[in-house]
Amino acid sequence: MSRLFRVVDCLLLLFGAFIVHLSLQLSYGAEFGPGPGFFSFWLGVLMIGLALIDIIGTLRQPQEPLPPGFIPDRDGIRRVLYIVGALVATLFLLKPLGWTLTIFCFSIFLLRTMGRQAWWLTLLLSLVSSFGTFHLFRQLQVFLPTGILGI
Amino acid sequence: MESLQHLMMGFSVALSLQNLLFATIGCILGTLIGVLPGLGPAAGTAILIPITFKLNPTPAIIMLAAIYYGAMYGGTITSVLINVPGEAASVVTCLDGYEMAKQGRAGPALGIAAIGSFIGGTVATFGLVLVALPLARFALKFGPPEYFALLCVGLSLVMGLAGKSLIRALLMGILGLLLSMVGVDPVEGAPRFTFGITPLLDGIGFVPVVMGFFGIGEILLNAEKAFTGIMTGGGKVTSFFPRRDEWPICITSILRGTGLGFFLGLIPGTNSAVASFMSYIIEKRVSKHPEKFGTGVIEGVAAPETANNAYANAALIPLFTLGLPGSPTIAILMGALIMNGLMPGPLLFKMHATFVWAVIASLYIGNVILLILNLPLVGWWAKLLKIPYQTLLVFILLFCIVGAYSLNNSIFDIGVMIVCRVLGYIFKKLDFPLAPAILTLILGPMMERSLRQSLSISQGDYSIFFTRPISLLFLIITAVILLTSAWQVLPAVVRQESKEAQV
Repeated sequence: MSRLFRVVDCLLLLFGAFIVHLSLQLSYGAEFGPGPGFFSFWLGVLMIGLALIDIIGTLRQPQEPLPPGFIPDRDGIRRVLYIVGALVATLFLLKPLGWTLTIFCFSIFLLRTMGRQAWWLTLLLSLVSSFGTFHLFRQLQVFLPTGILGI
Repeated sequence: MESLQHLMMGFSVALSLQNLLFATIGCILGTLIGVLPGLGPAAGTAILIPITFKLNPTPAIIMLAAIYYGAMYGGTITSVLINVPGEAASVVTCLDGYEMAKQGRAGPALGIAAIGSFIGGTVATFGLVLVALPLARFALKFGPPEYFALLCVGLSLVMGLAGKSLIRALLMGILGLLLSMVGVDPVEGAPRFTFGITPLLDGIGFVPVVMGFFGIGEILLNAEKAFTGIMTGGGKVTSFFPRRDEWPICITSILRGTGLGFFLGLIPGTNSAVASFMSYIIEKRVSKHPEKFGTGVIEGVAAPETANNAYANAALIPLFTLGLPGSPTIAILMGALIMNGLMPGPLLFKMHATFVWAVIASLYIGNVILLILNLPLVGWWAKLLKIPYQTLLVFILLFCIVGAYSLNNSIFDIGVMIVCRVLGYIFKKLDFPLAPAILTLILGPMMERSLRQSLSISQGDYSIFFTRPISLLFLIITAVILLTSAWQVLPAVVRQESKEAQV
C-alpha cells in the first residue's frame, strides 16, 4: 500500500514542479504586491514539500498489503470500464449526434451491460432517458444539444 | 426583535405557493437521495443543481436547501429498515435503529428520528435567526485584510476534513487552489494555466468538478461491487411513537443532540457524521445502561439523528454571515449561491435581505414538510429500494452529464467532469480526502482577490495584516489551528524515531 502512496506522491511532486515551472513564466510581482504567478508559485513549492514529507513518511512505514477489495474483481473492473467508456463516447458523440440519439445509445449500452433487464424494459427506459430528459429539461429552459439530424 | 421582523417578512415570501412547491419538491428529492444507498447529500445536491439553473435565486436556493436537509433524513430510513446507511451521518443510526427494526420496532425508531430531526432542525434555525444579523453586522466592518485573514481561518480548518492523513488533506487543498487559478488572473487579466485552450479562459467550472469528484466518483466505487439486486426490509412499520416510559429519555437525548449539533455546525471543517457519532458517544457515556447500546435502545437513534439535523441547519450560519462553507455540501450550496449572482457573506443580509430571510424561513417550513412527508410515507420510501441499482445508475449519470453541460452549454465541461471523475475515483481509492479540494476551489479566488486588494490598499506593505486588530486575531487563530494540527502529526514521527532509537 505504501508503495502505491509513494507513486502518487511522486506524481504530485512532479505536478508541483510543473506548476512552479509554469508560474515562473508569469510575473511574480505586480505594482503593489503579488502578481499572477505569486500564489501558484508558492502553492507549487508547498506541494513539492508536502509530497516529499509524505514520501519520507511512507518510507518509514512497514510495507502493508493492499486492503481487501482494493483491486476490484474482473467483473468490477469491467463495469468501471464500461461506465468510463460510455462517458467518453458520449463526450465525442454529443455534438455530431445530439442529445437524444447519443443518450439513447448510452442508456441501451449501460442498461444491457450493467443489468440483465428484458429488451422491452431496456428500450422503454432508454426512450425515457433520452427523449424524456430532452423534453423535461426543455421545459426547465435547459436546451440540450441537437446534432446533425436536428434531434 | 429586528430579526423577528425580518423573519416574518421571510415567511411571507417563503409561504408563497411557488416557494412552498419548490420546498416540497426539494424535500422529496432530498429524501429520495438519502434513501438511495451510495448517494450522500453532497453528491445528491450537486447532481440536482441543474434543475434549479433556470429558476429565480429564491426558489432555487430554497429547493437546494430542502434537498440538503431532506437527504439528511432520508439516510435514516435505509439505516433503520435494511441496515444500509444512505449517507455517512446515518452510519451510527444503524447500530440501534436496525436492532429496533428486528424487534418489530422500526416505526418508533423512524418516528423518533423524524421528531428529533424536526426539533433539532427547528431549534438550530431559531439559533440562526438570533445569531445571523449581529454576526453579519460585525462582519460588515471587515475590509479586504480582515476578509483575507478570515479565509485563512477557513482554509486552516481544512485540517478538520483531513481524514486519516493531514498531509494528504493539505495536498488536496492545494490541488483545489490550483484548479481555482486556471483562467484569467482577477487583477491583471493575464491568462493562467490555460495552455491555449479557449474554454479554460473562463476557468474550471465548480459544477463539473463537484459532479466528477462526488457524483460519478461514488458511482464508480459502487459499480466495482456486484449489484446485489433487490433489497429486503428488516422490519415492518407500524406505530411511529415510542412507549410512554421512553419519552423522558428521548426528550433529554434530543435536547443534548440539538445542543451538540448546533455547536458543531458553527465550526467550519466538521461534518454531520462527526455530529452524529459524537452525540452517540455522549449518550452512551451518560446512560445508566451503556451496555445496552447496540441492542436497540431508542436514545441511540434519537440523539444522533437530532444532532445531524441540528448540524445541517446550524452549518448555514457561517455560510450566510461570513461566507465560510464548513462542509462539502455547504460548499456546493455556496457554489449555487454564487452561480445565482449572490455572494454569501455579511453583504448578503444588506443587499439581498428578502432572499436570505425567505431561505431562513423556508428552513422552518421545510422541517414541517419533512415531518409530514416522512412519517406517513415511510413505507413508500422503503419500496423505492426495490428499484435495481443498475437502472438508477443510468439516470444518475444522465443528471451528471446534464449538470456539467447546462451551466455554460459546454461539452468541454463534460470532459472536465470525466477527468475529475477519474481523478476522484483514484484519490478516493487511495484515501486522499476530496472535501478539502472542493472547499479550496471555492475559497481560492476570494482569498487571492482579497490578498491582492489588501496589498493595493497598503501599497505593497504586508504589515497591513498585522496592524489591524481583527485581521491579527484571525491570523493568530489560523496559526494556532495550524500549529495544533502540525503538533498532532509531528509527535508521531518523533515517537517512532525515539522507539527506533530505543530498539
